[in-house]
Amino acid sequence: MSDWPPLLAVFLALPLTAAVLTPAVCRSSSTRGWAWALVTMLVTSVIGGVLIARVATRGPFSYVVGGWTAPYGIELRFDEFSAAVAIICLLGVLAIVFSRRYAERALQAERIPYYYALLLLNLTGMLGFTVTGDLFNLFVFLEILSLSGYALVAISGEKIAEMAAFKYLVMGAISSLMVLFGTGMLYALTGSLNMADITSRLAGAAQTPLIVALGAMTLGFMVKAALFPLHVWLPDAHAIAPSPVSAILSGLVVKVGIIGMLRLYQIAYGSGAVDLAGLNLVLTWLGALAIVMGAFFAVFQDDIKMMLAYSTISNIGYIVMGLGLASTYSVIGASVHVFNHALIKATLFLGAGALIHQTGKRTLTDLAGIGKAMPFTVAAISIGAISIVGIPPTAGFLCKWYIALGAMQAGHPFFGFALVFGALLIFIYYIRMVNAFYFREPRDRAAVDVQEAPATMLIPVLVLATLCLVMGVLGRLPLTFIEPAVERLLMPVGGG
Amino acid sequence: MKRALTAALLVAVAALLLAAVAELPPHGSPDSPPYTHVSAYYLEHGPDEAGAENMVTNVILNYRGFDTQGEVTVIVTAMLAVLAVLLWTGQAEGDQPGPAPAATGSSLVVRFIVRVMAPFIAVFGIYVILHGHVTPGGGFQGGTMIGALVIALTLVLEDTRSAALLPRRPARLLQVAAPLTFFGVGVIGLVLWGEYLYYPRDPSSLWITELLLLVVEAGIGLGGAIVIATIFRVMGAQR
Repeated sequence: MSDWPPLLAVFLALPLTAAVLTPAVCRSSSTRGWAWALVTMLVTSVIGGVLIARVATRGPFSYVVGGWTAPYGIELRFDEFSAAVAIICLLGVLAIVFSRRYAERALQAERIPYYYALLLLNLTGMLGFTVTGDLFNLFVFLEILSLSGYALVAISGEKIAEMAAFKYLVMGAISSLMVLFGTGMLYALTGSLNMADITSRLAGAAQTPLIVALGAMTLGFMVKAALFPLHVWLPDAHAIAPSPVSAILSGLVVKVGIIGMLRLYQIAYGSGAVDLAGLNLVLTWLGALAIVMGAFFAVFQDDIKMMLAYSTISNIGYIVMGLGLASTYSVIGASVHVFNHALIKATLFLGAGALIHQTGKRTLTDLAGIGKAMPFTVAAISIGAISIVGIPPTAGFLCKWYIALGAMQAGHPFFGFALVFGALLIFIYYIRMVNAFYFREPRDRAAVDVQEAPATMLIPVLVLATLCLVMGVLGRLPLTFIEPAVERLLMPVGGG
Repeated sequence: MKRALTAALLVAVAALLLAAVAELPPHGSPDSPPYTHVSAYYLEHGPDEAGAENMVTNVILNYRGFDTQGEVTVIVTAMLAVLAVLLWTGQAEGDQPGPAPAATGSSLVVRFIVRVMAPFIAVFGIYVILHGHVTPGGGFQGGTMIGALVIALTLVLEDTRSAALLPRRPARLLQVAAPLTFFGVGVIGLVLWGEYLYYPRDPSSLWITELLLLVVEAGIGLGGAIVIATIFRVMGAQR
């Protein structure tokens, strides 16, 4: 089956169609909507698994939709970076399982079919974004995932959620426009929208428009990634959204900006038509700044979801710094952190969601002492906290280690220090959280006298926490998997 | 101060963008890449292999049909977003009554003109949808016209009759007509010719392609019209 070329198109077309059909299929039964979304995502995951197995055994491959050859038709391209579909599918399935009970309480019944439809659209948009080899097609999928993302933030219908979604929408629309603008410029320079074709036709292009085009697209992607100081939309949107949505937004949707950036690097480095040293220096500095500022703001939060949202800003800083340093180790570390941070942040947000669902409280002060009432959830959150600080042997350690090594390799040991300093700050606020859950006396004993979360919520959280540990032990596996792709990427600029 | 800074920033950005645009290959020059590369291929081969006389239709439905499948999904996503946030309190299932025509304040003249014009607008909309593969137009444009007609009628008809224009139960399926048609035609290509969204391209079977493109146009037109009407209706029900 992995030899069947159209599989790559079916991988996108199937969930895209199933997603829009959700409200018609499930009418007003929330159980049916849940089952429909879960089955869709499971089937999609199986296809995704087949595709990853193929790229692992035989390297990158393409499919051109409709049988037209590229660049005349739309090329879908599955390379090692596209293996990010694994984490999209995994978190998609777990977030849907988690939503079963969560959505019933958090959302009005009439909204639930639309909730699952938008969640599926968001996930499929990311899948398409990750596997397309065509710049305009990339934009189309960016729109699908952005629009559904705004709606998912607002879906509770509360005033504060609508305000957060509106802020997200305004920033997001501007960033999409920047990406579209850059795409138009690249088309004007090359007459093509196919990424590989653009790469081969850019040599000798006029410098000013080329730099403006790449700059505009970088800016657009960095708003989506919430790189400091373009992060202002993120804390509210991620903290106010329903928890499974927070897990998807914080774990995956911000990474879309990073994957877009990797695609941009493939074009820019591959064409050799432009020197990116200046851009990389800016990104490295902003990344370092984001690590420290994100951690700094997080220390002062009492709302657990707000704290997790600021922690995402720090972690995007790590990834962007890794990309900006542009040495083999740092880019490998950054690419794998896209995957590992998604795992860890989903553990934390879903865990926080379970606490909020059971207690109705969301601040550290109110949740003090919850560790006794919900031992499994809090244990999972603790594992997530240890991972995100980067203590070995958890999933967070190896990526940060690689990025630090990359800083040395690139001859900028200072940024290695920024990374360690950031990790210390992060350690402070996560230790505060774990301390509150386990060791502080509850402020209101009745508030934390609750049951452990129901199975549909507990199982996804425990699966993710286990994976945080497993990926720490098997950490070298993704690193070696992504290595050939990074070497191919950096070859033209003499990285390595 | 803030205003002066904003203005300075805007001027700087504008200068940068203008400098970039000035260095682009000259617009309209026959030697510039947009005219010599991919689009040149479309113009040269399109008429013989893509099925429609209108080259724009060939590009959006055939060569780059997958993009258009994505675009119609974007439109449906926008509608789902509106439905999710505002919820449909339509009258069809007796939730609560919408605005009465008198309340919307349309005059007798407006009501009369809209009713007289309605069949003509409908015919023109259908013409634009079905003739899109020959002349400028197509599903998006014609669908918008029909959607606008439904909106105009909603404004002048009594509530019960305007609700009947958009019955809720079939609307749930009709709203997604466009992505559904795309998927159907895509799967037909997959089953008959082994490629997703494939249309036959040799001269003897080009009529099949033309037929399939018409089906897609009709799907986009119908779906688009319903989406626009739904968004209007949901927003109109917000008091």
